[in-house]
Amino acid sequence: MTNFPKAQIEDYGFKHRAYLKPLLKWAGIVFFVVMMLMLYLPIIIIAIQSVNSSVITTRFSSFTLKWYLNIFNERELLSAIKNTLTVSFIATTLATILGTFFAIGIFHLPKNKRSGLMFLNNMPILNPDIVTGFSLMIMFRFVMELINLIIRLFNPGASISIFGLPTLVLAHLFFTFPYVVLSVVPKLKELDANLVDAAADLGLKPMKALIYVVVPAIKAGIFSGMLLALTMSIDDFVISFFNTGAGFDNLSIWIYGVLGRRNLTPSVYAFSTLLTLVIMVGLIGSQFINKKGKTNK
Amino acid sequence: MNSTYAKLANPYRIWLYVLVFIPMIALVALGFTNLTSSISFNSLSFTLENFDMFGEKSILVGFRNSFTFASITTLVAFVIGYLTAYLVYRSNFNNKFGIMTLVILPMWSNLILRIDALANIMSENNILTSLIGFSPFSNINGTPLAVIIGMVFTYVPFMILPIYTALEKIDNSLIEASADLGKTPFQTFLHVVFPLSLKGVVTGSIMVFLPTFSGFAIPKILSKGRIVFIGNIIETKFNYTIFNDGALLASTILFLIFGAIVLLRRFDKEGETLL
Amino acid sequence: MKKILAFALMLTAAVVLAACDSRPVLRILNWGEYINEAVVDRFEEEYGYRVIVDVADSNESFYSKIKSGTTAYDIVIPSDYMIEKMVDENMLIALDYDKLPNRANVTYMSGVNQIFASMTATTQTRTSETVDYTDYAVPYFWGTFGIIYNNRIAGLETALETHGWGAYFDPSKAPAGVRRGMYDVPQFAYAAAMLYLDQNVNAFSTSLLSQAQTAIAGANFVEWGDDSLKRNVEAGNLDMALVYTGDYLDRLYIQLEEGKTLQQVQALFNIYVPEDTFVFADMLVIPNTSKNVDRAHEFINFMLDPEVVALNAEVVGYAVAFNESYDIIMENLTSTDDWYRNWALANQTYYNKNAVLSVAPLTALNPSDIDKINTMIDNVRS
Repeated sequence: MTNFPKAQIEDYGFKHRAYLKPLLKWAGIVFFVVMMLMLYLPIIIIAIQSVNSSVITTRFSSFTLKWYLNIFNERELLSAIKNTLTVSFIATTLATILGTFFAIGIFHLPKNKRSGLMFLNNMPILNPDIVTGFSLMIMFRFVMELINLIIRLFNPGASISIFGLPTLVLAHLFFTFPYVVLSVVPKLKELDANLVDAAADLGLKPMKALIYVVVPAIKAGIFSGMLLALTMSIDDFVISFFNTGAGFDNLSIWIYGVLGRRNLTPSVYAFSTLLTLVIMVGLIGSQFINKKGKTNK
Repeated sequence: MNSTYAKLANPYRIWLYVLVFIPMIALVALGFTNLTSSISFNSLSFTLENFDMFGEKSILVGFRNSFTFASITTLVAFVIGYLTAYLVYRSNFNNKFGIMTLVILPMWSNLILRIDALANIMSENNILTSLIGFSPFSNINGTPLAVIIGMVFTYVPFMILPIYTALEKIDNSLIEASADLGKTPFQTFLHVVFPLSLKGVVTGSIMVFLPTFSGFAIPKILSKGRIVFIGNIIETKFNYTIFNDGALLASTILFLIFGAIVLLRRFDKEGETLL
Repeated sequence: MKKILAFALMLTAAVVLAACDSRPVLRILNWGEYINEAVVDRFEEEYGYRVIVDVADSNESFYSKIKSGTTAYDIVIPSDYMIEKMVDENMLIALDYDKLPNRANVTYMSGVNQIFASMTATTQTRTSETVDYTDYAVPYFWGTFGIIYNNRIAGLETALETHGWGAYFDPSKAPAGVRRGMYDVPQFAYAAAMLYLDQNVNAFSTSLLSQAQTAIAGANFVEWGDDSLKRNVEAGNLDMALVYTGDYLDRLYIQLEEGKTLQQVQALFNIYVPEDTFVFADMLVIPNTSKNVDRAHEFINFMLDPEVVALNAEVVGYAVAFNESYDIIMENLTSTDDWYRNWALANQTYYNKNAVLSVAPLTALNPSDIDKINTMIDNVRS
């Protein structure tokens, strides 16, 4: 037989790119590491400052852990920390529980009402902080005047101020509800509609069906909503600044106030580093617990 | 069943109307008054004089700066954010959720502390130079580059998260089908993966653009007060209780937001994209 | 689900209960770290009250917090021009000196008295009313504004001493390549420009405004900030900046604590106080929204004790307002403790009670004028 040249795969346009694979893989790893480094660079600097024995932030004197112990001596810092944790805890819990119910409600609305409500729901996320903070303060002021007017009908001369923890929690709820709703609704979409019908068939009342069937199925959405809510709430400054009162400053307000004219105590850096470390340890810990759970099965 | 569940949304509707809708109207209305702290409610009057301030150089420059910086930041964040999300998506990590939490974690530290730390290492004499003799960023504090770097790395998690979520939702069989039909991996990405993740890209871009546009803390610290953003001007107005001007400027930003929402609705009719 | 709810409720209850403290409360609104913790502790021990100190970062913040009435503060510590504005708008309570017996034991420094007189004079021109501000306020700390400078740059000190404000605003009168910074309060920048132009710090007119704009633009400031200015000059990242003299002493005290002497610090960075500079005084006032006026008076009385003020000055680098407190600080000139001796030396150098100053505090300008100044500064910066 004549020797016809065998067709090579290159004739069909195939290009050998296999050598690129390990190259790209390494490039990817390097990129990812650099990226994480950049994200964490400020955190690393803050950690360095927290063990710097000098208060002067541009010079490293010597290694010390005294600022960590000193956290407990700084009464204003402690009070600000306590306030932040209180507000964020209450706001996140309420936002998660109520937000889930609201999301379920919105999901079952007819199309037109739903899109109108979702439009309003997205506003708090898109609004600039300073606008939200200011307009909320005006609303609260207005409501407070109304309440005081009514109180004065019964007891002239008395007046209350609702500013403080109540207004702060309400303000935080304002911008955390949307995040919870937006995390839960997509999961509701993925939910198998038959599940709820099955629950009804088995005799569960609507509310019970909700708690025992729907909520566990959308657990992931609720959890990520809660995480987002907590993140947004714990570092909020502008909105809290306008809506706090009765001296209920949170950590961000306190840091901003101190940074204005005076010197910042390194104990703040120590607290910040501590918080980051605790959460990281928690993450790694939950990783191990998950792995253990899987092997035990 | 549907109508029972639907009732759950009613309290939320009232909440949204009272706290979102009414203050928005009030804010826009305020922009047309002469309200400052020295005006009492009796002498409040409507006026169009506030529009004069749009002729001031600082306001025009403020808008231009905010827009330019926000656009550049969003672009850069898109490129490196998409890369990061894609890398994690294609990797073999066991706990991808953990990686995402790691990405969010820096946001739990106070923003001002973090930006201050960046400003620290971006100055000539800083803690890194005293510790290890050199700093990767020396001496760019106060320049536009510093502001961009600061803004990108503060807000890039907002870009990574939605893109990653969108990527995860892509049905793997679509990618396999594309390969079966003879597309190279690169072409698969371009024609299959990227278009399907576009929702995440749009969400991420909006979540980065808006806070960067209206923010004031990061530009103030990293540009050493030299670059004026529209957020700085609004902050000054509100601090000195010139509410009417501040409200008018804020309303202008609200218009931009409406534009963003219209854009969103083209990508997702139901308005549920954002996450 | 129920267990989680119950747990959450319990936790909330625990947090709320832990926050309860039965002592009567005194609320103070102050600048950040502007009071010695030891002073607060001592007050709490002597009177059995619980003191809550809130911080704000500017006079305008003080004003909006009190005007909005969201918190009922008992004591506020604003600066002179904000006190003028607050009295104009009837936001303060007149002090009852019967409740302040310690007043008889102290004499105000001459600079403080001049500030009071000046405030009354400017109010007279502005509103044609005569207001004696001692009716409303007791001085807390005061001081001058100066130019903090990096002494490591050759020729800078001499340039400042020869030309004063000229070296600060005119690049040709100082060594080349000097980096200048300005305080991020537009009214301060305007006042400094006025002094450079040999005008009264509080003079305002459209032509003066544009002259100030030219001057400030010509100075080519590379940094606008507040607390970052002093830190950057200290670190050598900036060469000259307008700051409160007290800002310099704050950093000085920190350097002293870390083992340096006054001379060593002055060689690194120092502060130049021009003869024609402007001054400020932060004073204790009682807003009319206070619910504990008597308790507030007790606190003011406590702060009229010279020893307490000297204790406060150990942490705050601003000038004490009472001659008696100054004398107490001077007793430390012969102290064996390095820190205390340097502390007294610093006070003697920068806050000498015998220094002859002709002082000019800032006054409360018309809000629309302030808005014009703000816009002018924004225009320069853009």
